[in-house]
Amino acid sequence: MDWQAARVSLLLAVCTAALLLPLGVWLARWLATTPWRGRPGVEALLMLPLLLPPTVVGFYLLVTLGQGSAIGAWLARSINLRLVFSFEGLLLASVLVNLPFMVQPLQRAFAAIPGSLREAAWVCGLSPWRAFWKIELPLAWPGLVAGVALTMAHTLGEFGVVLMVGGSIAGETKTLSIAIYDRVQAFDMAAAHVMALALVGCSLAALAFVFAADKARPLQER
Amino acid sequence: MLEVLLNNEGPIRLQAEFNCARGELLALVGPSGSGKTSVLRAIAGLLKSHGLRGRVSVGNKAQDLWFDSARGIRRAPQQRRVGLVFQHYALFPHLTAIENVALAAHPPREAAYFDALFERVGLVGLQQRRPSQLSGGQQQRVALARALAREPQVLLLDEPFSAVDAPTRQTLYHELAALRQSVAIPMVLVTHDLNEARRLADRVVILDAGESLQVGPPARVFASPRNARVAELVGLQNHFQGQFFSSSPADAPGLGRLVWHAPEQGGAHISLSVTDKKRLDDGAAVSWVVAGELLDLSAQPPVQPANSLACTLREVLPLGEISLCTLVPTQLPSQRITLNLSTAALRQLGAVPGGVLYLHIPPEAVHIMPVRHN
Repeated sequence: MDWQAARVSLLLAVCTAALLLPLGVWLARWLATTPWRGRPGVEALLMLPLLLPPTVVGFYLLVTLGQGSAIGAWLARSINLRLVFSFEGLLLASVLVNLPFMVQPLQRAFAAIPGSLREAAWVCGLSPWRAFWKIELPLAWPGLVAGVALTMAHTLGEFGVVLMVGGSIAGETKTLSIAIYDRVQAFDMAAAHVMALALVGCSLAALAFVFAADKARPLQER
Repeated sequence: MLEVLLNNEGPIRLQAEFNCARGELLALVGPSGSGKTSVLRAIAGLLKSHGLRGRVSVGNKAQDLWFDSARGIRRAPQQRRVGLVFQHYALFPHLTAIENVALAAHPPREAAYFDALFERVGLVGLQQRRPSQLSGGQQQRVALARALAREPQVLLLDEPFSAVDAPTRQTLYHELAALRQSVAIPMVLVTHDLNEARRLADRVVILDAGESLQVGPPARVFASPRNARVAELVGLQNHFQGQFFSSSPADAPGLGRLVWHAPEQGGAHISLSVTDKKRLDDGAAVSWVVAGELLDLSAQPPVQPANSLACTLREVLPLGEISLCTLVPTQLPSQRITLNLSTAALRQLGAVPGGVLYLHIPPEAVHIMPVRHN
């Protein structure tokens, strides 16, 4: 087991979920309630990482954020931030690639809340902000659990984008999935086995968590 | 006093005007899609329409003016102290009964306040239950308690009895009547059930396609609908067409003449003496209804033939104590008069389907309405 890679993977998963959660909640709630006609366009854009090969996403990120690009050069010059072959860059890529995994379950959860509950909260005198905290978020709870679990499991297993954007710098961008690939290349099947099994276990646990949360749906209590 | 004047163009058309005094229960009645709930939502500030015009106020103070399109005032639902009982209650499923109710209390209240409130709505001991653990009637009471905890200036009830079984509904009717004794605020009830409106409301507003057609005490609206559409909406069965002729020297003083004709039967007609209220032009096309409770039915031809017509008893539908009878005037066989007669009275008349009966229509039993031209 490559513990260093495991640490990078776990850190990446936690940071991705932590960054994506507020963003995902905001996006999902907006998508679930907006009457705006351009909504399908935004939804399509968010789902795109699911369909595109990870190498394509990685390629475009490299092109946009590399130091040869305007953005990359500006970031490096002004705040000394390099987004290619660094953990920060990997995190940004991971956040973008995981958008559908966080937004989808959350959007479904917010859309399932009847409009009358939101209105009842307003009529009870709750500000939109308090209505969100007291009513909407607790009712969307299973979606939140699912979003976080799927994002973390998917981040742990991500390979293509990580390789393209992060490379394989030990302790910085080398994740478990890259380490497995390395071990297989070196015919160290036993080490690859251990890490592969660990990833299978994580994904399975995440999915079990999602289904368990879905069963305890507060909205079904009616 | 709640004063409502609403005008809205577009998909949700509204043209409603009414008021409701403190302690009064006003019923908004109309078929589905007539805009009843939209009116309620507009009062609560939930109707989102840029084209909404008019005024909603609950008093004379500045904060009592909730909506005034002319002055650009449009208060948010949170700024209107409204108690709204939603059609399916809209209780928060993840909160207990008492948490549901406590959420509406501003500023937060002591436990004793809620205990008293729960006792008042008959929910003692159920404070810690979730909505899913309560029956329909109990959920309705939680919704009512939540509306009252807001200490509302207006209580709005959207079809509150539609989702409960008949025995519970009877209990809830009584409780609403009792509530009116203790809460002196305007109450607006939305219902499609005419009997419910008749039984509970001090006044009714008949709504059709968003427009308030008639406002008044139920007895008056049901007995004297303003026009043919109201008569149709309040479910009056004996509703006919005719032509009105005002009082002439040949008529008794104060009486005019109604010529009852059926368009499809050429010149055949029946002439009836009716009260002339001097509101209609001579020769005006009218529609008219008869109040069943003022009609007389006999087996023998009357001594005074005026306003009496021979009818064939076409059909008798026994419904226990009463029987639903369909009569066909022999002079106008295309017309039907439906009457609810006591089954005992029908037996005493010795009437059988196909037999002839004589129907007397006193002038005061006829209510004449102008035909509405759109």
